[in-house]
Amino acid sequence: MTELLARSLEASTIFLLAALGELVNQRSGVLNVGLEGLMLFGGTAAFLVAQGTGSHAVGLAAGVAVGVVLGAVHGLFSVRLRGDQVVSGMGLWILSFGLTTYLGSPHTGPLGLHRFPTLLGLSPFVPVAVLLVVAVWFVLSRTSLGLAIRSVGESPAAAAASGVNVGGVRFGCAVFGGALAGLAGAAYTLSYNPVWNYNFLMGWGFVSLALVFFSMWNPWILLGGSVLFGVMWQLSLSPEYVLPGVLSRYVWRTVPFLVTVAVLAAISTPWFRTRWGLAKPQALGVPYTD
Amino acid sequence: MRLAGLSVSVQRAEATSPARVAVGALGAVLLALALASILFWTAGAGPWTAYRIALGYAFANPSGLGATLQRAVYLLLCTLAFLVPLRGGLWNIGLPGQVYAGALAAFAVALRAGAREAGGVAFTSLILTLMPAAAALAGAVLGGLVGFLRAKLSVNEILVTMMLNSVMFWLTSDFIKEGGALMSATAEGESFTLPEGLRPPLALGLPPSALLALGAAAAVDWVFLRAASGYRVRAFGLNPQAARYAGIDPVRVTLWVFLLGGAFAGLAGYHYFAAVPGLYKIPTNYGYYGDLAFYGIICALIARGSGVAAIPMALLFAGLSVGGRFAQGALRLPFGVDYALLGLLMITFVLSHLVDRYRVVWRRVPPELPTPAPPHVEGVR
Repeated sequence: MTELLARSLEASTIFLLAALGELVNQRSGVLNVGLEGLMLFGGTAAFLVAQGTGSHAVGLAAGVAVGVVLGAVHGLFSVRLRGDQVVSGMGLWILSFGLTTYLGSPHTGPLGLHRFPTLLGLSPFVPVAVLLVVAVWFVLSRTSLGLAIRSVGESPAAAAASGVNVGGVRFGCAVFGGALAGLAGAAYTLSYNPVWNYNFLMGWGFVSLALVFFSMWNPWILLGGSVLFGVMWQLSLSPEYVLPGVLSRYVWRTVPFLVTVAVLAAISTPWFRTRWGLAKPQALGVPYTD
Repeated sequence: MRLAGLSVSVQRAEATSPARVAVGALGAVLLALALASILFWTAGAGPWTAYRIALGYAFANPSGLGATLQRAVYLLLCTLAFLVPLRGGLWNIGLPGQVYAGALAAFAVALRAGAREAGGVAFTSLILTLMPAAAALAGAVLGGLVGFLRAKLSVNEILVTMMLNSVMFWLTSDFIKEGGALMSATAEGESFTLPEGLRPPLALGLPPSALLALGAAAAVDWVFLRAASGYRVRAFGLNPQAARYAGIDPVRVTLWVFLLGGAFAGLAGYHYFAAVPGLYKIPTNYGYYGDLAFYGIICALIARGSGVAAIPMALLFAGLSVGGRFAQGALRLPFGVDYALLGLLMITFVLSHLVDRYRVVWRRVPPELPTPAPPHVEGVR
């Protein structure tokens, strides 16, 4: 049971890291629907480099670096060139899906390194992610940088008029989102499940994207949502803890995805919207033209 | 910037001409192929040899050509499944899920008709019609669910379709593995094989779904060009707010495009799993066929929403993916050449799409007039 809990927390951490980067991204008005692709590429890079160098640390750095590069590409396409954010995100996702399959295939199988070090039986990514939540909350709600990020996400024209560099802030947020997506991918392939397989994520990135919507763009709610989804994900892999012998294991695997659809639908109902209001950034997904 | 009497600047463009669109599409494809050749080269294969082998197999070898044509039909149906919602400004990336739904429905009909029993199937022509109909219906139901959630609650269609892709992927496993309802009696992990009677007739090696796909591509274009319903979808896609003021019902449009899109993807599932010679079953690697459906996204995007323009694209991508797989084996390239091409084509399309929005403007700058000399005043020393 302790093992299940530790695994669930680790799974939660991966959702949380990816979603936290996307949350900052979206608070600045940039939607990156290619999150899954960034995680795939970051995770694959981390795996290949760690295997090649024999070092988890170098692999981790490579994962984050690839995330940064892809985040910057999204920033370039959607902020600097003012392209359609969905087209750019989808492009990055399919690019990553295709290229990682080709680049990673010869390395299909286990990482072949010793286990990723743990901290009190937990993955070290767990405390890192929690600290990042605190940091993101603090920066977003207590600093002038946070005010700038939120203002370019709500009303870029007003932000620009008050002297904020809209393009610069948005680009920076896209890069930050990319870095955390890369980190999340690396956490997956180096620690959570160090076995490379084509398209190994199979929806983790899209669930993380959905978690940002569930969180109503609040890092604390995101933390809670990620823990819930991490536990649910882990239980869907080991249904014997819930209802042994009921339904096939394949049907259990559909549960997190069905719950995601159900929650997405629930938070979109007029009832929910009128009571809770969605704190959706006003300018989300809209390129800013000055 | 100034260059020899010319001023050069990059400006945002307002409108694009069809010629530019065609050049952009061609440029995107060529750039992707050039980038892929770097991959071949790093894997120790000469790019020229790789393309010669790939395209030679896909278009000049009889069995390769057959595989290319079957796949082109599949990709064309997937393209239409993505294209119809796209004209309404919506992203149907649920193609794999709808493909699986179509395949499962078609095989469920065959199962109910007694396909797995020794006695054979009665009313085969009826069942042969019911199978694609059930596939289209199943795809439409899945697409319709997305359309409903989008239309009624504004739920993000990209997320819902991706979630349903995963759901359908696992459900397919449930049906064909570990004693699932459609599992083969002799082999684990795949569905039963359709008996002779339930395999559709072939003309020139192609099943009737090929004709259906071609007809549908033309019909879709006609609807978007000439029919009021197509106009409503296009207007909604271009500006939902304005369309609403013009009396276009957003719920109806959204629901319809997803129902139709889902039906096309369901048919694609029927075509590949139940109508293509050599398969006639849902194989263990059904996920691969689901992944191929994503080529439909690129086809539709590069063809700029035209069904007929998507036909040559579908043929080209089918050839590249079939031939790529063949070259991969022949040249011992790493697995996934077809996946790499998919990724590269997508990103070069995005690039061409962005470049298309800008123009390099050259303007002749009139030579600067010599500044008049200060008047010379006589008598002043």
